[in-house]
Amino acid sequence: MLQVESITKRFGGVVANSDVSFSVDEGQIVGLIGPNGAGKSTMFNMISSIFPPTEGNILFCGKRIDLLPSYKVAPLGISRTFQNLQVFKNMTVIENVMVGQHMRTKQNLSGVASMLLGIAKNERKVYEEAMDILRFFNLELLYDQKASSLSLGKLRLLEFARAYATEPKLLLLDEIAAGLNHSETSEMSELIKRVRDSGVTILVVEHDMDLVMSICDKLVVLDQGMKIAEGAPKEIQANEAVIAAYLGAEIEEEVV
Amino acid sequence: MKLQGVQQTKWWGVVVFIAAILIFPLVVTQSFFITQATFAGIYAIIAIGLGLLMGYAGQISLGQAAFYGVGAYTTSILTATWGWSPWLSLPIALLVPALLAFFMGYTMSRLSGYYLAMATLALGIIVHGLLVEGKGITMGASGFYGIPQLSLFGMTINQGVPYYFLVWFFVLIVLILSLNIVHSRVGRALRSIHDSEIASSSMGVNTGRYKMQVFILSAAFAGLAGWLFAHMSYSISPSAFTFDASILFLAMVVLGGSGSVWGALIGALLIRMIGITVHTLGEQFSFITSDSEHVIYGLILILVVIFMPKGLFPTVIDWFKNTSIKRVEKKSSVPVTPIERSVSE
Ligand SMILES: Nc1ncnc2c1ncn2[C@@H]1O[C@H](COP(=O)(O)OP(=O)(O)O)[C@@H](O)[C@H]1O
Ligand SMILES: [Mg+2]
Repeated sequence: MLQVESITKRFGGVVANSDVSFSVDEGQIVGLIGPNGAGKSTMFNMISSIFPPTEGNILFCGKRIDLLPSYKVAPLGISRTFQNLQVFKNMTVIENVMVGQHMRTKQNLSGVASMLLGIAKNERKVYEEAMDILRFFNLELLYDQKASSLSLGKLRLLEFARAYATEPKLLLLDEIAAGLNHSETSEMSELIKRVRDSGVTILVVEHDMDLVMSICDKLVVLDQGMKIAEGAPKEIQANEAVIAAYLGAEIEEEVV
Repeated sequence: MKLQGVQQTKWWGVVVFIAAILIFPLVVTQSFFITQATFAGIYAIIAIGLGLLMGYAGQISLGQAAFYGVGAYTTSILTATWGWSPWLSLPIALLVPALLAFFMGYTMSRLSGYYLAMATLALGIIVHGLLVEGKGITMGASGFYGIPQLSLFGMTINQGVPYYFLVWFFVLIVLILSLNIVHSRVGRALRSIHDSEIASSSMGVNTGRYKMQVFILSAAFAGLAGWLFAHMSYSISPSAFTFDASILFLAMVVLGGSGSVWGALIGALLIRMIGITVHTLGEQFSFITSDSEHVIYGLILILVVIFMPKGLFPTVIDWFKNTSIKRVEKKSSVPVTPIERSVSE
């Protein structure tokens, strides 16, 4: 479904990704892991076309997507969440989800005409669908709250719900459980599985190893921009390069 | 149809507005105030457009007077020089500023950062310069005269109450149109761009195109105001379309509240009232000159930005809602977590 082919990304002198290739098959949950600064978010930004790679191609369902503007990637069926939360904070919870439905709710001419009279036709349908999505993510009680008043855990859920509302084929989750407590994290991993079971392929960046190991079909490990391993969670756990990378990162952090 | 938690047009507000338009000339009969109220309506149309641009597309125009002037001169030339009917020139007076905005937006493709503010500033200077220098067509600094009056069903729409109603009829249309846009999926998309452009485009929102559309709409509104302004008077001059005027429109939006259609309207009214007050005082006290007006606008801008960054209207609404929530809490005496509710449409 998704093919990442020899991707390199440079920011001036910084090499954030170096010749990285991997693929994601339909129906899988694939984990992209690695220490901080390994280039995971950069990879997500290229898959969602926020910026183009310096070298290499990205194919989605056989089509090159790396040269498209980002708003054209969503209609193909790719959606994402953001590590540094990008909720629409001046909008209510349900309005956030309704923006997720934006491209599926094109107004036709009669819609526009009814809008001129102040009776937006499709609004109720969109609203009710949004409410269903909120129920799916256990956010229905907060529907009319301003997003800025939500706790971190709810904000992560809202990002997830909003991305899901675009009806993606592939969903990119960037550190969706970061900052969550234990029960919130397990709720999140249940949700990820439920979303996968509803027919969405998932690529997830996550530091919580319990979560990653329990839900992923496959892991891709990055370290300092390079892919150092790929395989089933079991294999990765035993992989020496991976252990070294994580130990190295830990020692570095301790020294710092 | 009420959708709780979603911004929607409150129709009672529109009804109150219509009533106010109808009642005003019954209560206030001096022709001076009717004329001022007519001008206020013309400014309100520009302010609503600029408010959409600032509050919903997150862009600032420092040259809205240019679109206003282009609209006014387009219709003046078409009607006085070429002999067109003013009603025929109306769509052209909207279209020319809109096209101008389209080409400006197009060359800047994505309308980001301060580019639009700078480009519109330059546009304002250029347009004013052309109006002054293009004597052969615009009659230069002394002004263009001979603009025909409007007539409807064979009756001339005279200055005074008839023109007041014409202008405020157009304000009503602009207001309803704007409220509906703001409360549609397009409005939601625009508000989302304001909060996070990157997330917005990841949801499939073509952010550049929406910003461009709002810019074009704001230019067309200014063109409409120009058309109304031109046919109100027998003559117009470039001095009405200066940088000062652009700043005045900006002040209306900042005072009333960008991101609020009603706010822009109220801002236009307030700024106009302040102008009249200063003017009236100036006739009694010689130390108050027309420059004092600008000092006061400047002070207002500074105070609003410091104490009410959202602008007057949203701040007052916030305050209202908060106190009414508190009252409900007291009555029910059940501890309710204070809810920050979304306001300002
Ligand atoms: N927009 C950017 N401009 C410059 N450098 C960047 C940018 N984004 C990321 N980087 C750099 O690329 C490297 C990888 O960052 P990132 O992809 O965020 O890592 P991760 O998500 O794996 O923690 C870091 O050194 C970071 O500083
Ligand atoms: Mg990251």
